[in-house]
Amino acid sequence: MLRYIVNRFIQMVVVFFLFLIISYLLFDAIPGNAFQNLLLNPSLPPYAYEETIALYGLDQPLSVRLQKYIVNFFKGDLGYSYIQFPKTAIELIAERLPRTLMLFSVVNILAFYTGFFVGKILAWRRGSKSETWITITSVFSYTVFYPWFALLMLWFFGLRMGWVPIGKFLTPSKWYDSPFDSDVVFLEMIKYMVIFSVLYFVITLLTKEIESLNLRRNIRLGSFFALLFISNFYWNTGQLSEMRFYAGDIAYHTILPVLTVTIVAFAGTALLTRTTMMEVLKDDYILTARAKGLSQKRIRDRHAARTALLPVVTSFIFTIVTIIDGSVLTETIFSWPGMGQLILESVLREDIPVAMASFSFIGVFALIAHFLADVSYAFLDPRIRIKSQG
Amino acid sequence: MSDIILDVQNLSMHYETLEGNVLAVKDVTFNVKSGESFGLVGESGCGKTSVAMTLLQLQPENSVISEGSIKLDGKELIGLSENELRKVRWDSISIVFQGAMNAWNPVIKIGEQIREALREHYPENSKQTNIDKINQLFKMVGLDESTANRFPHELSGGMKQRAVIALALSCDPKIIIADEPTTALDVVIQDQILNEIKKVQELLGLSLIYISHDIAVIAEMTDKIAVMYAGSIVEIGPTSEVFNSPKHSYTKALLDSTPSIKGEKKKLKSLDGEPPSLINKIEGCSFAPRCPNRNISCKPERDMKLIEVGHDHFVDSCSLGENYE
Repeated sequence: MLRYIVNRFIQMVVVFFLFLIISYLLFDAIPGNAFQNLLLNPSLPPYAYEETIALYGLDQPLSVRLQKYIVNFFKGDLGYSYIQFPKTAIELIAERLPRTLMLFSVVNILAFYTGFFVGKILAWRRGSKSETWITITSVFSYTVFYPWFALLMLWFFGLRMGWVPIGKFLTPSKWYDSPFDSDVVFLEMIKYMVIFSVLYFVITLLTKEIESLNLRRNIRLGSFFALLFISNFYWNTGQLSEMRFYAGDIAYHTILPVLTVTIVAFAGTALLTRTTMMEVLKDDYILTARAKGLSQKRIRDRHAARTALLPVVTSFIFTIVTIIDGSVLTETIFSWPGMGQLILESVLREDIPVAMASFSFIGVFALIAHFLADVSYAFLDPRIRIKSQG
Repeated sequence: MSDIILDVQNLSMHYETLEGNVLAVKDVTFNVKSGESFGLVGESGCGKTSVAMTLLQLQPENSVISEGSIKLDGKELIGLSENELRKVRWDSISIVFQGAMNAWNPVIKIGEQIREALREHYPENSKQTNIDKINQLFKMVGLDESTANRFPHELSGGMKQRAVIALALSCDPKIIIADEPTTALDVVIQDQILNEIKKVQELLGLSLIYISHDIAVIAEMTDKIAVMYAGSIVEIGPTSEVFNSPKHSYTKALLDSTPSIKGEKKKLKSLDGEPPSLINKIEGCSFAPRCPNRNISCKPERDMKLIEVGHDHFVDSCSLGENYE
């Protein structure tokens, strides 16, 4: 297994290297001199223009520039933004990334679980009336033109009903005298979510060995609510007790985007789960499980859904990658200043260093996702585990 | 030896399909005593597996049990709710399926799949009790204890089938149904598995319902057999008697198509044609179109009915022809 992981890692580095070169060449092929943008920047001291050119070899031929860029890249220097001069590309990304990550990690988890759950119920109730209707709804939300649907949601929930705010990720009037930067609050929120999931995961692992299924389920459910209860105290400690108010404001603003993207994203998972699970339900071991006298729920969840999970996880991990570039649409529609908007702005205004940095970030993200997909296969399907050892 | 553990009376079952009803099991009556081996034999598509599935009520959703009763230890199984049936399954009747290859879930360890059944029927057992039980079962069927921690794809076909037998024994059932347990295995392994089943059955004093199209295996394994044709039993009786003096033309044809090691060399006879389609009711004798012994005295229009011809030996009235009445 270790050798397999190391092999895959080396492959990843090579692919990333190629990715970097190709994207640099593509940006270089844009007509005009993007660098002139820097000259138009009023906050630019006169000497900085010359120095930046010298630093990144911008007056050199392509081969030299590329070489310099790659060396700098691996040193961690991705250059200055042409538009927002004193800020570096990395600073810009560091500011935007938490916002996108929070929104889309919530969406992904929600979409995957609802999709998987709905799909599994659909396959199980095949032929019933509810199955027909939910399938039709899923196909609709899978194929709907996303920007139109998002605007419709905005209009209905934001404007018509007025339940949720329209656009932006915070209410400016609440934040003008805020002692906290919104990024700090975002990071705290992400930290909390990570701690919560890790704790719950540990509990799941610890309870795995309990023989009685009812007890196991009750302990897991109980500890979930206990964690929720404890988080109440967590958010009351020190600085967090003041931050709560602002975190709540951000959470309020995430409701609509999360809801919209989840509705669109869950359908693919649901339909795929339905199809694969219907295949699995024909298998002989389902009959064995029934003959053993297992409960319907146990057969559905443990035998059918568990085996049907593999292709679903595969496709899901690939959609994670597309969701980052899909965030361009979402963030534009909901005026959510995250990575998606950063990419859009930087490309439109030819802010090459920032665009390059964002794209290479997506590249890294995609590579890691594919790598995780491969590793998770090995965990989900023991038959692959054997092959990868040899 | 004499107490009846499974009593099936006039069992009929059909599948509802778009073309019409497929009458898969017609008026089947038999019983199995405790410790007895009962064989069901017949060619493909004659309803053997349908009978087995109906006993556990695991038949597909489009099937309907139209009449009859299945009494297990005096308890009626037909009409029980799904939850009540779940308690009966595996605890009282367990089954070894046709393809052992696919009987295991590929992503769950063998031991866990057996423990799952134990957990369901003995929820109060501790984990260690269950593990001990599994080790004991594995020892009985000739498997290593480490098999419990393996995945199905890591075992050979024979090992999987042994493990399936261990699985079938896990909840101490009263009856095991073996539905062609050796079809997918090679001859050497087949023999080992058959011996294993026989050994275990004698050791634990179980009743066995052995389903096969292989008449030689049935002869070796069972005390009593029923020959099925087109969904009904055409001849039923003690194995030795049925083999030595078959009464029904179909039984005779089946025996003639099997080579014998002892005795004179005979040319094997095959039976022309194929079993009739079971869609819609067949009037009179279902075997008549293929029957090699049809004569004037035969009355194919008469309804099929079992007539006692010897001790515990019943045969379908049709083939008795003029001797009857």
